[in-house]
Amino acid sequence: MTATIGFLAVLFAAVSSAGMVVRGFRAMRDPSRAVGRYFQWPVYGVLAGAFVAMSALEIGLLRDDFSIEYVANNSASTTPFVFKVASAWAALEGSILLWGLVLAVFIFTVHRQFARSEQTDRLGAGALAVFGVIALFFFAMMLTVSNPFRVCIDPSTVGCFQASNLPWVDSSAALEGRGPNPLLQNHFLMAVHPPLLYLGYVGMSVPYAFAMSALMLGVSGSEWLRRTRPWVLIAWGFLTIGIVLGGLWSYEVLGWGGYWAWDPVENASFMPWLLATAFLHSTVVQERRGMLQAWNFVLVIATFALTILGTFLTRSGVIVSVHSFTQSAIGPVLLWFLMVALVASFGLFTSRINVVASSPRLDSLASREGVFLVNNLLLTVFAIVVLTGTLYPMFVEAFSGSQVGVGRPYFDRMAIPLSYALLLAMGVGPVTPYRAARGSVVWERVRTPVRIALGAVAVAVVIRYRNPFLLLGILAATFVMSVILTNLHRSARAMADKNGLSLPRAASRVMRNDPGYWGGQLSHFGVALLAFGIAFSANLSVEATVELAPGETETVAGYDITYIGQFTREETNRTVIGAEVEVSRNGRLLSRQEPRINQYGATSQSVATPAVDESLNGDLYLSLKSIDEQGVRLGVWWFPFIWLVWVGGLLAGLAVLWSRLARKPARDMEPVAQVAGHER
Amino acid sequence: MSADLRKRVGWVVTATLAVIVVVGLAMGDARPEDRVASIGASIRCPVCQGEAIIDSPSPTAKAMMEIVGEKVAAGETDQQIESYFQARFGEGILLDPPFAGKTLLVWILPVLAIAGGVWLILTRRRKPEAIPMEQV
Repeated sequence: MTATIGFLAVLFAAVSSAGMVVRGFRAMRDPSRAVGRYFQWPVYGVLAGAFVAMSALEIGLLRDDFSIEYVANNSASTTPFVFKVASAWAALEGSILLWGLVLAVFIFTVHRQFARSEQTDRLGAGALAVFGVIALFFFAMMLTVSNPFRVCIDPSTVGCFQASNLPWVDSSAALEGRGPNPLLQNHFLMAVHPPLLYLGYVGMSVPYAFAMSALMLGVSGSEWLRRTRPWVLIAWGFLTIGIVLGGLWSYEVLGWGGYWAWDPVENASFMPWLLATAFLHSTVVQERRGMLQAWNFVLVIATFALTILGTFLTRSGVIVSVHSFTQSAIGPVLLWFLMVALVASFGLFTSRINVVASSPRLDSLASREGVFLVNNLLLTVFAIVVLTGTLYPMFVEAFSGSQVGVGRPYFDRMAIPLSYALLLAMGVGPVTPYRAARGSVVWERVRTPVRIALGAVAVAVVIRYRNPFLLLGILAATFVMSVILTNLHRSARAMADKNGLSLPRAASRVMRNDPGYWGGQLSHFGVALLAFGIAFSANLSVEATVELAPGETETVAGYDITYIGQFTREETNRTVIGAEVEVSRNGRLLSRQEPRINQYGATSQSVATPAVDESLNGDLYLSLKSIDEQGVRLGVWWFPFIWLVWVGGLLAGLAVLWSRLARKPARDMEPVAQVAGHER
Repeated sequence: MSADLRKRVGWVVTATLAVIVVVGLAMGDARPEDRVASIGASIRCPVCQGEAIIDSPSPTAKAMMEIVGEKVAAGETDQQIESYFQARFGEGILLDPPFAGKTLLVWILPVLAIAGGVWLILTRRRKPEAIPMEQV
């Protein structure tokens, strides 16, 4: 019953999407139809269908309805509540359904903006047509190759062997479900990380849909950018936070002693982030100076394509082996969709190139636009590096059968210089004037920050830090932060003198006067903190493997680690085997830690869970490698200041809220003086 | 203090700090090289998914790490150890793609992208003589 309702809801969403496509294209030709009312039922239909389908899947999961194949193979009656809920997006079919639901929500919000205006809106109508095509594709996939509501017709004792796509056939339920992948039920972050990432991924289809609409209508200009800016910012924020939490999950759960390994799944989320970041910056240039119109279309198409590529990479099995993706039905379908989208988008773009290629040119490289161009060049090259490193081994294996390895050493070597260059541009850019900047003006603004940054490194050198990567990291990150702070200080000082305000109040007024600019600066500050965290934790980390019998102690990075003994705990969904470890320093007991191995019942797979002793100085990270009666083998890491990575990353993402939510002060209080860097 | 003097003091301070930084960077060495770890990070675990043998808990990776340890202790060079594994597992065992053969392209493509981008930017801007210098 639940399966039938879910399936019909998906069908309803698919039909509504088709209706949206038809009405969208009609309204583009006949502007009198391009009003909100005309799109009401398809938009509400897609949203209602997706919402009911997701609810049906959740109900199936929560009621342990093992006649639904997805529930039988991805959940179990002993699975804790949170992970039952999260199971709805833990596997392929459910995650595609989440894609559809998130897309439906975005379509709904776009339609609300559309319906608010009284005038006819062909640009919005065309965007809804494009949305309809994307939604139709995803919901059609859920009816066929990626059906979350397949019913089980050949159950085994645990899980389901064979299922039928048609939910109304006679089903038979499995006795017990297989339960989620152990890695995914080990930490609550797995419940929130995928939806955040999808909000970011799918949000990028908003500027894409409007860009395609603008191209189809042959309208030049920046309206599509202005209208989609809120979605781009929000989607970018979600994507950023999703990636940071993914790193945190990898660190807290996988126990290999790191948060970023440049593996294809991580790269799949990082590539669209890089291009979306480039897009976020280049749109400023177009809105301010009318430049880069053609380039922005290229960026938005490429970003959208990379989100589809990312879904393909993570969901088709191509990563396990290039030859396995054809065994999943969804792999080829996604690949075809990607190809068709690329050919259609770039085909449309080239046919309209005369409309968009008339934008003004760059006056001088030494200008804000010039730095934005450098930023775009660096971010695009970065994306090309990650794309090459990720796809190249797959291509070679697919076509020649031989394996080549492209891994962390390659990515690190490429990413490090690009990152330093990006940080430098991030420091200089925001205080460089538009059009043509005099060197003396820029120097005047960065003089103090340069001195502060040099001073910070000089202090680091004096207290015996010698690692050049660390010193350069401190230099770049301090520079970026002090540019932002001195810039704010200068503007606030001017405002305070003028209006007789206290300095903090003046600073807050300055930041609210130009929320877009200062939201960006907050985000930059987060990135600089992140860079600090990476520089310290990567270059000053200590790593050791210790073997201890009960009662023995060893010292790593100044911490005495004492193994007390082994323990075993039975929990509802797992068996926990762990080591009791005491951490002390200079004879003082700091904490008791329990690095452990969790064994998950039905699958009898085991997952190691590290114990992390967090402090402001850094994390002591203990990972259980093996344990028996004689003793324990522990991986021990010391990561100084690693919390800066999480705090900085989250700040970078959350900063978009400032751009969106900060209220400008009332007009009459607005100062006339435009200071430091953000003059029009 | 006159503005001129203050400016001069500023320069002296900047220059001094810069000298300290440059000396610090010049004297700097990356962390004391743990050769076993650095080789372990550049060899792919053949039974895992794109993991280095140093990161993988699998028995195969552990055994390979032990071989690396023995060979480093026996005084073999990085090159020798890498070719040892390459001879047994093929070219794909290295995570750091060599600047040759099949993997030449992964090094060249990003360079081409940078060159192309720089060329685009330089050719697309307005001719230098046409720049109106804005009063800032």
